Amino acid sequence: MFALKTVRLFFVKKGNARFVSHLDMNRFMTRIVRKAGLDIWYTEGFNPHPYITFALPLPLGFEGRYEIMDIRLNNDDFDISKLVSMLNGVCPSDIQFFDAKEPIKKVGEIAFAKYEILFDDNGEIRNKLNSFLVKKPIICRKRTKKGDFKEIDLSEKIKDFQTTLEGDNTKLMLILPAGSNDNVNPSILFEAFYNENPNAYYCYDVKRISILDKNLKDFL
Amino acid sequence: MDNKRFEQLLLTVQKPGRYSGGEINSVIKDKSKVDVRFAFCFPDNYEVGMSHLGMKILYSEFNEREDIWCERVFAPWPDFESVMRNNNIELFALESRDPVKDFDFLGFTLQYELSYSNILNMLELAGIPILAKDRTDFSPIVVAGGPCTCNAEPIADFIDIFFLGEGEKTDLQVIDLYKEFKKNGGTKADFLVAASKIEGVYVPSLYDVSYNDDKTVKAVTPKFGAPMPVKKRIEEDLDKTYYPEKFVVPFIEIVHDRAVEEIFRGCIRGCRFCQAGFIYRPVREKSVDTVCRQAKAICDSTGYDEISLSSLSTSDYSDLENLLNNLLSWTEKDKISLSLPSLRIDNFSDELLEKINHVRKSGLTFAAEAGTQRLRDVINKNITEDEIVKTCKTAFKGGYTAVKLYFMIGLPTETYDDIKGIADLAQKIVDTFYEMPDKPKGKSVSVNISVSNFVPKPFTPFEFHSQITREEIIKKQEYLKQCIRSKKISFSYHENKTSFLEGVFARGDRRLGKVILKAHEKGCRFDSWDEYFDLQKWMDSFAECGIDPAFYANRERSYDEVNPWDHLDYYVSKEFLIKENERAKVGKTTPNCRLQCQNCGANILGKGVCVENR
Ligand code: SF4
Repeated sequence: MFALKTVRLFFVKKGNARFVSHLDMNRFMTRIVRKAGLDIWYTEGFNPHPYITFALPLPLGFEGRYEIMDIRLNNDDFDISKLVSMLNGVCPSDIQFFDAKEPIKKVGEIAFAKYEILFDDNGEIRNKLNSFLVKKPIICRKRTKKGDFKEIDLSEKIKDFQTTLEGDNTKLMLILPAGSNDNVNPSILFEAFYNENPNAYYCYDVKRISILDKNLKDFL
Repeated sequence: MDNKRFEQLLLTVQKPGRYSGGEINSVIKDKSKVDVRFAFCFPDNYEVGMSHLGMKILYSEFNEREDIWCERVFAPWPDFESVMRNNNIELFALESRDPVKDFDFLGFTLQYELSYSNILNMLELAGIPILAKDRTDFSPIVVAGGPCTCNAEPIADFIDIFFLGEGEKTDLQVIDLYKEFKKNGGTKADFLVAASKIEGVYVPSLYDVSYNDDKTVKAVTPKFGAPMPVKKRIEEDLDKTYYPEKFVVPFIEIVHDRAVEEIFRGCIRGCRFCQAGFIYRPVREKSVDTVCRQAKAICDSTGYDEISLSSLSTSDYSDLENLLNNLLSWTEKDKISLSLPSLRIDNFSDELLEKINHVRKSGLTFAAEAGTQRLRDVINKNITEDEIVKTCKTAFKGGYTAVKLYFMIGLPTETYDDIKGIADLAQKIVDTFYEMPDKPKGKSVSVNISVSNFVPKPFTPFEFHSQITREEIIKKQEYLKQCIRSKKISFSYHENKTSFLEGVFARGDRRLGKVILKAHEKGCRFDSWDEYFDLQKWMDSFAECGIDPAFYANRERSYDEVNPWDHLDYYVSKEFLIKENERAKVGKTTPNCRLQCQNCGANILGKGVCVENR
């Protein structure tokens, strides 16, 4: 008799994989774990499928540097240090695993996500960002579940930010609420920013670089 | 275009995964190390194209060769097309994102007539002259294969080379010849003449077509020693035919997202309306061992948890019992579900149902095709009403409560009684359910009848018949609706407009080329998608070219008329088709290939079912 073993897997999603939606990721990972030949636990019921859950969906188009999914292995003796190479062996280069460990925190403890955004700089975007992000209020449009929009103030939600110059780009580091209680997609902040600064150069590169708990410690 | 800009634009369209590439098992090569770059172009969107087995076979076969890099290209959906046009992005291949106009070959697959306008649109987006005669550079060479090549005369003006029949060998021979010409600096004209000598190659520009005063074809005359007739190519031994061990696994959801294992080609049945049943003759099967080995390899390389056995009539596989037992011995353990599309009603046994119960339960679908026995005899669909009802009963006992039945309207000799017969048959199935003492408790039954419009196709016994007009289609659909009395019966049908255009192209000739060009200029594309199909634009194009589409769709042909496809040889003789059509007229059925060979002509090849022991 074996007990089930839950494993938390950490991976990077970049390049072409950024165009894979959250829904599609589920199907993709199902195939990856099958292809890697893992003895994974299947849900019971009418249509059994491998148990896979993602800690925090990543919006389409974003790069993820700290993506997390949990699986359950049927064999609790399995040496999980082998998982990373087993999975990377069957993954395309734009999705690569970097760690596997037994979960420490519960998914409900996720409170924030940290983003890094690169802007094509025309010399003044950094100043514009700096003044925009300290405004009160910062009115943004958020899509509701019904499909229409409501206005919300994000000024209180920005946990932290920092801008730096990097070559020809301005880099913005941003920490926003994330998780099941409160979740802010940074896109709505940029949308408001571009509405105010129509001539600002478009950002082309959004990375979610970590997922944090309420004390801003890495979610593990 | 730099990647950053490109990716930024991708985020502005629906389903950017259609264009991003990078899927599992997609093939990346160093372009400086290959001799031939082949763009495999599917003239429909990614989801449809990626579901297509022929593309998977040739993609892998070509890429197995070190000197060839084959990449995939799909028709951009109109939202992305306008992004491409506004930003001067030329049609590119998914793997390298290089413009396809720099490739050696563009290979289109012709799965249905309504994709023709997409081919023109893709050539234009690629920045390649649309008309073959304007493409004077040596490359790219534009080639096309697939079922519609058995009469692709309507697009003969746009294509350099057609591949007739199965392409596994022909394609590579043409590529090798091309390499030789490229190395020695030959001309395109010389290359085309040399290529025409390869079995299965049809170079339309090497044939002149003349016409009679009544607008029918007078003669097709070969030039420069091109062969006459042009023979299709077949794979002789499917156990030795190339089959991929890997499929590209898409990130986004596609139409058929599963492993597919082909179990045989051709069909023994000879249903008289079905083109596939004639152009893929003779039936050739893979052995149980080959099927199992190949199926396992694909599942292992893709991680798919569903495998579908592909053929025109799965239950006609001669050793299905053994095949299923073999497959189930490992698929169950690996949690892979089997699906068996294309089952026939008459040999759907309790044992088979038992086996299918091991696999995923979706609704049951059957092709009954016509509502009365008389008409089923006319079309040679050798199934009886008793068999249909009995099969549904078996299915109900097995726990199914939904049945979908496929029918056609507009079949030769059809009367309104035959239309009513569709509703009566559906009613009988509903009644059967309620009369069963052991019917699934507390459940109600649903019978869906899906009705398509018959389109007469070349190389079938019905190639001589006229297609019913759009008005008649509508009348018959309305009548059928009135005949349905039960709420348990639902009814869905096809658009008459698209069936009409399909009918025009199916038996069209080269004079339609200018109509297709005109329609393309008016913006026609994605004609098989109701939301983009615009019949008015097509009718205007016909009118402006002085061509009456009814001449092609709604006209009965005499046996001695020269058909636009008569110079193409699919081994099924015209005498046989005429004989079959005469039998149809008197409602006489013809036994299938396994019961009794009819000498259709395919036996010349000396392969498959024609030489089986009976
Ligand atoms: S020659 Fe006979 S067995 Fe062969 S395909 Fe034709 S009818 Fe069938």
